[in-house]
Amino acid sequence: MKPFKIILLVLIIMGNLLLTGCWNYREIEKLAIVAGVAIDKGTNSRYRVTVEIVHISQGRDAKPSSRIVTMEGETMMDAVRNEISLSGERLYWSHAKVILLSQEVAREGIAKIIDWYTRDSETRTDVKILISGEKTAGEILERGKGVTEEIKSFELNSMLDNQKSLAKAPKIDLFDFLNMLESDGTSPVMPLINIRQADSKSVLEIMGTAVFRHDKLIGFLDGEETKYLLFIKNKVKAGVLSQEEPGEEGTCPVALEIFGNKTRLEPLVSDNNIEFKVNITVTTAIDEIEGSENFIEDKGRIKLEKDSEASLKAGIENLIKKVQTDFGVDIFGFGSELKNDKPKLWGKLSNNWDDRLKSLKVTVIPKIHIRNSAVLSKTIKVKD
Amino acid sequence: MTLKKQNAVKENNKDNMAELNDLLLGSSLEENIALLRNIFTNDETLVFRRFQNRNIKAVKCCAVYFNGMIDPQIVNKDIIQPVLSSDLKDGIDIHNLPEELQYKVIASGNVNLENQLDQIVSSILYGNTLLLIENCEKALIISSNGWETRAITEPESEKVVRGPREGLTESIIMNITMIRRRIKDPDLKLKFREIGSKTHTRVCICYIENVASENILKELEKRLDQIDIDGIIDSGYIQELIRDAPFSPFETVGHTEKPDVVAAKLLEGRIAIISDCSPSVLTVPYIMIENSQSNEDYYNNFIYSSFNRFLRTISFVLAVSVPAVYLSIVTFHQEMLPTPLVLSISASKQGVPFPSFFSLLVMLLIFDLLREAATRMPTLIGQAVNIVGTLVLGQAAVEAKLVSAPVIIVTALSGILTLMNLKLIGAVIMIRFLFLILSSILGIYGYIFGVIAISLHLLSIRSFGVPYMLNVTTLKGHNWQDTFIRAPWWSMKLRPKIIGAKNLVRQRTKKTGGKKTG
Repeated sequence: MKPFKIILLVLIIMGNLLLTGCWNYREIEKLAIVAGVAIDKGTNSRYRVTVEIVHISQGRDAKPSSRIVTMEGETMMDAVRNEISLSGERLYWSHAKVILLSQEVAREGIAKIIDWYTRDSETRTDVKILISGEKTAGEILERGKGVTEEIKSFELNSMLDNQKSLAKAPKIDLFDFLNMLESDGTSPVMPLINIRQADSKSVLEIMGTAVFRHDKLIGFLDGEETKYLLFIKNKVKAGVLSQEEPGEEGTCPVALEIFGNKTRLEPLVSDNNIEFKVNITVTTAIDEIEGSENFIEDKGRIKLEKDSEASLKAGIENLIKKVQTDFGVDIFGFGSELKNDKPKLWGKLSNNWDDRLKSLKVTVIPKIHIRNSAVLSKTIKVKD
Repeated sequence: MTLKKQNAVKENNKDNMAELNDLLLGSSLEENIALLRNIFTNDETLVFRRFQNRNIKAVKCCAVYFNGMIDPQIVNKDIIQPVLSSDLKDGIDIHNLPEELQYKVIASGNVNLENQLDQIVSSILYGNTLLLIENCEKALIISSNGWETRAITEPESEKVVRGPREGLTESIIMNITMIRRRIKDPDLKLKFREIGSKTHTRVCICYIENVASENILKELEKRLDQIDIDGIIDSGYIQELIRDAPFSPFETVGHTEKPDVVAAKLLEGRIAIISDCSPSVLTVPYIMIENSQSNEDYYNNFIYSSFNRFLRTISFVLAVSVPAVYLSIVTFHQEMLPTPLVLSISASKQGVPFPSFFSLLVMLLIFDLLREAATRMPTLIGQAVNIVGTLVLGQAAVEAKLVSAPVIIVTALSGILTLMNLKLIGAVIMIRFLFLILSSILGIYGYIFGVIAISLHLLSIRSFGVPYMLNVTTLKGHNWQDTFIRAPWWSMKLRPKIIGAKNLVRQRTKKTGGKKTG
């Protein structure tokens, strides 16, 4: 009886393991790894999905290249699964880096599109999301050419990662976007991607911001404006402040390298009136002086600080005015700041916050501190 | 002694020495010789050397010994020659002749009078010389054993860069000598016993009184008493016969070939079992952390030693995990890898026909084949095995696209990590395959099941009442001093708990040599 019991036990364990096990088993080389996806409106059906698949060839020095596949479907999931009928592969989404959306789709609202991407277990919400400045999103993947990498989506990914030292486009992950979309008092934004013709090559360029009301695209900001937006959102970690100073030989451009920035939004509430103070503290260093003016000694430096503060203030105020008049949405997050600071007051105001925003008074108080002048302590003196 | 009795002896001596128990020697020299001849029939190495004293012809003797078991020098110079040439008094009494010889004539170090036949037979077998005397019912047993032994060399399995090079040998007396030279204290106790109904192997329990736990000693003696086997060829027999958790791949009885290791373990309160004809001394209790301890750790700088010990500990974990985790990741959890790594692994696996599990299993088996082949192989042929192993199986297999390069890397890594803990090698190999199979079925989930199972097993077994994972599962500072790290000697004031609980304080050094500065 005893050996029989042992055999039975072994059979039960093996049966349990082997019949239920191996679920989701796939060999790594059989995966069709998706690098990026572009979503457009379809011709016959509702969605036209273009994916960039990493194509890995055999051989010792083989470099991965990319393969573009386009499919259509009534829902996102339907479109994505239709790929099987095109190439027999099931797409593997965990390593996808970017989602590109066409303006057409974005103007209709993108919540329904990103639902699949957020819900599915294989896809990840740390994927970066962009708006195509071209007619469709698919052509970015089809026409565009990477400069450093063969796979366009990976290049877009590293371009966005390095935006932190340029600050001309926001870096928005899908979960960032969802947070902005679902939170009170902040309207979502997205980086903008274009194709630029350079030396007869179509290179990719990420510059500017797309502005959303709820989940619908309503307009764009250019690169400079984006920088000011990022200043208010306290997202500037590095970048350049260019300042033109009057000098002896015409204007003398100076470049200040940003080493750090701290922005604090401060709601000032009095009776029924709400004002915002934007305190910006920037630490910079002189990195370029195209002239012989002396900005290194106290007098010149203080003047330079004052002038750049003034132009920063002007730029930010212009941006706020433009957003208030053109878009009327709170992409800066004044509302959520107020909610954090004065939750009771926010409860009363949240219903007509967008109207209030249009006339909200915002005072910008920039403070630029020049720390050093990099490795040169003088200007270059040109002599005979 | 009657002929009947002799016949009885003749019939039974093949089966049991115990039959000789109540037999005594007779007084006739020739009868006694015949008796011994009967016991050792068909054994021509037994030598009967008859001789008599020069002066008194009545003193007839016969030296009985085994050729090869004795030192001829002792037999010739210290036994035969003195008896031959001694000036015995004329009026010698036959009754005190044995005592006379014992006290005044024979020059050997250890001489006993004996008339019990079983004692006589066993002492001849140990290499003593028996001196039978005419008309005397007692014989002299003279210690004369001497045989060729292996020189003291450094053991191949436990090489050190720093520390004593001496290794234990097959001679129990030499081994005891090497231990006693390190612990010169009357508290060092050596309890002898014989195990093996045919081999009569001498086994010595060695411990330090007032340090070793009495309960463990009692338990050990009880287990040794229970052994009833025909022979002990190596201490490995005893190891398996007395161990706890008999089905576990982990050793619960330690073994070493280094006398300094034995001495250090004795000082910690452990008990050593020295077995004749075996260079491995067993130590109990044996706990998990001893697998990754090396004697060199205690001689080198403690920071360096701690680092080495950390490497050994971590390498046990990695050796069993690397193949399983690799397999889980490439077949189930590709999202866990960074994208560039996914691409490069995928690229190296393109065109490889076998599934990952199969190629890993085969490569690990091949590694074990090579290891086993190289162990038994003469050194010169071993080089050929190396070449075949590295070139043919490694490079060629990758180039022929039979296995992918990462599989080779994982196998090699796992193999090297296995060799870091030689004492755990058996356990590592088994667990590695177990983990690999589990993760081929359930991925990381299966691997975690395996880890849990092994952890539960390790935490549940004991060695002589001491938890196997002693000091690993604790957070108290003192218990950590000799586990994953090796604390400096000046801070290790206490013996390990439980094992050395009887006499915990081992060090009362007040101050270290110099000032404690950076």
